[in-house]
Amino acid sequence: MPSFTSSSEIPVTGRPLPECALGIAAIVALVVTLVATAAWELQWRNFGATPSYKNSDGLWAIERRRIDNGEGDKTVIIGSSRMFFDTQLSAWERVTGERPIQLSLEGTSPMKALQQLADDPDLTGTLVVGVTPILFFNGFAYRGDVFDHYLDEAPSQRIGQQVSMIFEPLLGFYQPDFALFTVLERQPWPTRDGVPVRKDVRKLANFDSDRNGRLWKKVETDPEYLALVKEIWSQNFRPLDKLPPPVLQQQTKNRAEQLELAVAAVEKLHARGVRVVFVRPPSEGPFAETEAVFQPRAEAWDQLIERTGAHGIHFADHPGLQGGWLPEWSHLAGDDADRYTTELAQLYHDLPPPP
Amino acid sequence: MSWSPVLLFNSLTFVVFFAVVLALHHAPFSWTVRKLNLLVASYLFYAAWNPPFVILIWISTLVDWNVAKWLDVETRTGRRRLLLATSIAVNLGLLGYFKYGEFLLSNFQALAATVGIDYQPPEWNIILPVGISFYTFQTMAYSLNVYFRRAEASKSLLDFSLFVTFFPQLVAGPIVRPTHLLPQFAIPRVATRQQLTWGLALMTLGLFQKIVVADGLLAPVADKVFGAGEMLHPIDAWLGTLAFSGQIFSDFAGYSTTAIGIALCLGFGLPDNFRFPYAAIGFSDFWRRWHISLSTWLRDYLYIPLGGNRKGNLRTYINLMLTMLIGGLWHGASWTFVVWGGLHGIYLAAERWLRARLGHYSVWKTRSAQVLLALVTFFLVNLTWVYFRATDFDTAWRMTVTMLSFVTDGKKVLSFYLVLSVTVTMSTMLAVHWYMRNRRLDEVVARVPVWLAGLFWGGMLTAILMTQGGSDAFIYFQF
Repeated sequence: MPSFTSSSEIPVTGRPLPECALGIAAIVALVVTLVATAAWELQWRNFGATPSYKNSDGLWAIERRRIDNGEGDKTVIIGSSRMFFDTQLSAWERVTGERPIQLSLEGTSPMKALQQLADDPDLTGTLVVGVTPILFFNGFAYRGDVFDHYLDEAPSQRIGQQVSMIFEPLLGFYQPDFALFTVLERQPWPTRDGVPVRKDVRKLANFDSDRNGRLWKKVETDPEYLALVKEIWSQNFRPLDKLPPPVLQQQTKNRAEQLELAVAAVEKLHARGVRVVFVRPPSEGPFAETEAVFQPRAEAWDQLIERTGAHGIHFADHPGLQGGWLPEWSHLAGDDADRYTTELAQLYHDLPPPP
Repeated sequence: MSWSPVLLFNSLTFVVFFAVVLALHHAPFSWTVRKLNLLVASYLFYAAWNPPFVILIWISTLVDWNVAKWLDVETRTGRRRLLLATSIAVNLGLLGYFKYGEFLLSNFQALAATVGIDYQPPEWNIILPVGISFYTFQTMAYSLNVYFRRAEASKSLLDFSLFVTFFPQLVAGPIVRPTHLLPQFAIPRVATRQQLTWGLALMTLGLFQKIVVADGLLAPVADKVFGAGEMLHPIDAWLGTLAFSGQIFSDFAGYSTTAIGIALCLGFGLPDNFRFPYAAIGFSDFWRRWHISLSTWLRDYLYIPLGGNRKGNLRTYINLMLTMLIGGLWHGASWTFVVWGGLHGIYLAAERWLRARLGHYSVWKTRSAQVLLALVTFFLVNLTWVYFRATDFDTAWRMTVTMLSFVTDGKKVLSFYLVLSVTVTMSTMLAVHWYMRNRRLDEVVARVPVWLAGLFWGGMLTAILMTQGGSDAFIYFQF
C-alpha cells in the first residue's frame, strides 16, 4: 500500500518546464515592461498628471481612525466635494493653529458620516459639516461603501493601503482616471443605436496623504478639459419643464426626511458638548440655479440652522467668501480656495465658544 | 451572508508577503524550519482576511489528522466507519453551518409556509469563511484515502498541517490530493532557477487573466447585462453571457495558474486545474478540462462510491445526475447552482446516451464535425452559465428566454466599446483554446523564439501595471 511519503494513486510529478532560455525571456520581459511603463508615465505627465495620493476608501479609513486613536478632540470636516476641494487644510492651520481631519466625500451627502459621528463618543471636538444642497437634502451617497470599508477593513487591505501609498506620490499614471480600461472606454467610440451615451465625471482634484484635496491645475489651465468637465456636469441639468412633475415633490419629501435626521444627529452631538458648524460653500451657474429651484435657501439651509441650533456659515452672507473663481461652477480654483479657506477659518475661529 | 476580502494574489500586500516568504524559503534554514515558515505564512495568509477563522482550519486539521491515525491501526469495520463518519460529519458540518445554514433555514421557512405554518427564523448573519469548500474537501480526501486503504496516514503533523493550509491553493484550489502534495513536503525542496523563472511567468499569466481579461475586459459587460433587471435585446443578452463565460474562466483559471506559479517558485508542483475547456468536444471532455481537481474529486469520492457505471444504465444516469447536482450545490447555497449542476448532469447523460447509439459513425472524427461539436458544446455550456451568474430565477429565466427567442424589442444596454471588448476578447479566447486544445503551454513556449516569449511576458506585465487592478476578489472565493 502506498503511503503519503511515497508513490500513490496520483503520481508525484514536477511541473513540466519549457526547454528554452527562460532567463533571457525574463530579461526581455523586464526591459519591455520598464520601457512601456516609462512611456505610459511620460504620456500622462504630458497630459498634465502629477503624482497624487488616491482618494481611496482605505485613505478615508486611515483619517477616520484618527478619531478613534485619540484625535477626537480636533476639528473634523465632513461634507461633499465642495468642502473637500475648497477647504485647504494648510490655510486653515495657518489661521487656527490646528490642521483638521478631512473626511468629506465627493458626490456624497455627509448625513451618514454625521450620524456615525453622532454615535461615536470618541468625537469630542468640533464637527464642520459642508452643505451642498442637492446632495445634503437628498441624502445621495456616491461613496456610500466607504463606511462599511472603514468598519470591515481586513488586515490585508490595511497593509495594501500602506504599500500603495509608497507608490502613489511617485507615479503620475497611478490614478483611477488613467487606468487602461478607463482610458479605453472614454475614447470617442461610435455610438450604438438605442444606447444612451453618458460621460463619467473626470478627475477634478489632487490629494495629499491627509486627504487635503485641491482642484487639479488642468481644470484651470486647459480650456478643452474644462469644457469637457462642464459638458459632463451639464448632463445633470435639464430644463424644469422637461422634468416629470413628481420630481419637485420628491425633493420636498427628501428634504423633510434629511432635516429630521440632521436634527436628531446634532442633538446627540450637542448633548455631548460637540460643537457643530454647518458651512455652505459657493456655487454658481447651472448648479446655483438648480439648487435655488430644488432646495431654496429659506426652506432648506435656513431651516437646517434654525432647527438644529447649530452655527451656520453661508457664503452668501460673507463677502470674504465670495468672488472666487469656480472654473466649472462648483469648486474653487486652487489659489482662490486658499483665500476662501483663510476667510472661512477666521469666521470659524471667531465663532462664540460652546456654552 | 456577508463576505470580506482575503489576501488577494492581485494585491500589493501579496507582493510584499510573497517576497518575504520567498526570501525565507531560500534562506539557509533546515527543511523543518522552512516548512514551519511556510506553515506560519499560510496561517498569516488566511488570518489577513479574518484571524478568528483560522480556528476552523485547525479544527479540520486536527480532526482529520487523528481520524486518519486511528483509521490506520483500526481493523474493525464498524469502528472504521464511525471514524470516517466523524471526519465527514465535522467537515460537512462546518460547511453546512457556515455555507448552507441560511439556505436551509429559508427553504425550511418556505416549506413550512406551504403547510400553513408561519415560521420566522432568526436573522442569519454568519460570514462565509473563504475557501471552506476547498480545504474541507481536501482534508476529507485524506481521511477517505486512509479509510479506503489507498494510502497510509501521514507520519508528520507538520507536513499534514502544511498540506491542509498551503497558502497558494488554500482558498480557491486546486483541491490537491494528499498523495500529490504530502510526499513533496517529505524531502527538501527549493526551486531551481528554471522553476523560479517559469513560476514567475505563470504568475504573470495568471494575474493577466484575472486583472486584465476577467476584471478589465469582461466583468463590466457581464455586470451590466446581468444587473439590467429587464428584458434585453438578444445581442446584449448573448454578449453578457459570453462575457461571463470568459470572465469565470479567466478569473478561476487565472487563480489556479497563479497558485501553480507561486508553488513552483517555492519548488512545489501543483496539478493543472484547467486545460483550455472552451475547446471541449462534448461534456465529458469539458469536465476533463474544467476545474479538474473538483471533477476528479467528485468522480473518485462520490460518483465511483455510488457505483459509477458498474450497476447498469439507469443507475449510471442517476449517479451522474446526483454527482452533478451535488457539484452544483458545492458552488453555492442557491437553487440556481443546483439547476446549473442539473443541466450539466442532463448534458452528460444525453451525451452518454447518444454516444452509445451514434458514436460509432466515423463522421464524428472529421475536422468539421469536431469543430461543430465543440461549438455546440460551447453554446450549451453558455446556457448553463446564465444560471451560475444570475442571482435569482427571474433574471436567469428572462435571460434564457431572450437568448433563445431572438425577440428584438428588448433594451440595449451595451455601448459600442463594450460590444467590441467582448467580441474581440472572446474570439481571441476561443481561438487560443482551440489552438492549445492538444498542446501544453511549456511546449509552445519552448518552440517560439525567446525574444517573442519575453515580448509577450513583458506585454502582459505592462498591461497589468497599466490596468492598476488589484482589489476585485476572485469569484471562486465565495464558493
